[in-house]
Amino acid sequence: MTIDDDVLCEELLATALTAIDPCAALRIAARDARLSQASRDRLAAIDEDGFRISALLVARLRFERLLHGHPDVPDWLDRDAVGFTETFRRYHAAVPPTAFFPPDEARTFAAWIAATRLD
Amino acid sequence: MIPVGLSLVPDVVFLDLLHDVIRDEADYYELAPETLWFRSSSGALEPNGFHRTFRELVDATRKPVVAHGVGFSVGGASEADAARRTSWLERIRLDHEVFHFGWYTDHVGVSALGGLATTLPLATPMTDAAVMRTRGALEALQRIVPDVGVENSVFYFHLGDPLDEPAFLGRVVAGPRCHLLLDLHNVYTTALNAGFDPHAYLARLPLDAVIEIHLSGGRDSPAAWGGRSMRLDSHDTAVPEPVWALFDEVWPRCPNLRGVTLERMEDTVTVPDVAVIRAELRRAREALRR
Repeated sequence: MTIDDDVLCEELLATALTAIDPCAALRIAARDARLSQASRDRLAAIDEDGFRISALLVARLRFERLLHGHPDVPDWLDRDAVGFTETFRRYHAAVPPTAFFPPDEARTFAAWIAATRLD
Repeated sequence: MIPVGLSLVPDVVFLDLLHDVIRDEADYYELAPETLWFRSSSGALEPNGFHRTFRELVDATRKPVVAHGVGFSVGGASEADAARRTSWLERIRLDHEVFHFGWYTDHVGVSALGGLATTLPLATPMTDAAVMRTRGALEALQRIVPDVGVENSVFYFHLGDPLDEPAFLGRVVAGPRCHLLLDLHNVYTTALNAGFDPHAYLARLPLDAVIEIHLSGGRDSPAAWGGRSMRLDSHDTAVPEPVWALFDEVWPRCPNLRGVTLERMEDTVTVPDVAVIRAELRRAREALRR
């Protein structure tokens, strides 16, 4: 396995984990001809229940960063949990997670909300 | 006597409810350094309010501190993450000057997959290249904190046979002053989810490399998540009896063990948990006396 293969494998897994349907994206990644056969075999052998739960946990950790970083989110969640959850789901699908700290996540979310309203 | 420590989390309720336990029952503290930072408008990593709180606690109690992060992504292959990791190293260096970490560990695997803030430790293929990358990350940390290591992470999916992981970990920590943090709830959880015997995993592990043991609890995934239920390493419940049994069995076989740490997640401690956590710290200490 070369380093390039590892990098590509990481990128494909990252894309799949943040996709709306992670397991469908994983199945596509496992057929990517740019990967070595060994990497394709490893991806094809992944436990899909575990992959789906990993994707949920990645989203939940992001949700928690936003909850801790954005002053309006706790009230929004109390007021309209279903509405906020749907908004977060669309945000997570539209914007790749790049913020490691709660205030950065809050800024990214606020920018997405502003852009969405402009649309 | 091997000391018993408690992980400290940036949570006012945790720190308030466990005020006496933190001061009276823990021999040392474990911190996740990156939970004590924020990125300022200049882009620099700066200490947040909990950094000061923990510094004052350590100054007042004079208890030792070890560091245990999740975000350094020691197995990451992506160049997209290189600049972030460089900035984190500088912040870790500054924190080490303050807290004088006894050792610094992170989770084996990759937590910034493709440079994204996935923040959950995820499996890497257990290849020579992954060993070299992880060793390289540990060597970078070692230039700041001389004793470093990796924890056996919980992975909910694997890129290979999970029973090959002990040998992989052994290769990762084969260098001087590189250690293993043995998280027994992670072993228990992975064994349940992947369907293997935790004793088979422990039998393959280089136990002479273990510097620290983690004890914690977790729960099953909610039914609403769909699919088959899996145990989560959620650190939000008492340490389950099977994990205590693994602890009693394995710690005497770890000749270089320097600490046993109890972990609880932020936002999960309520009034009834205080007595539980106190009792767990005492139970660990009692086990180590036997």
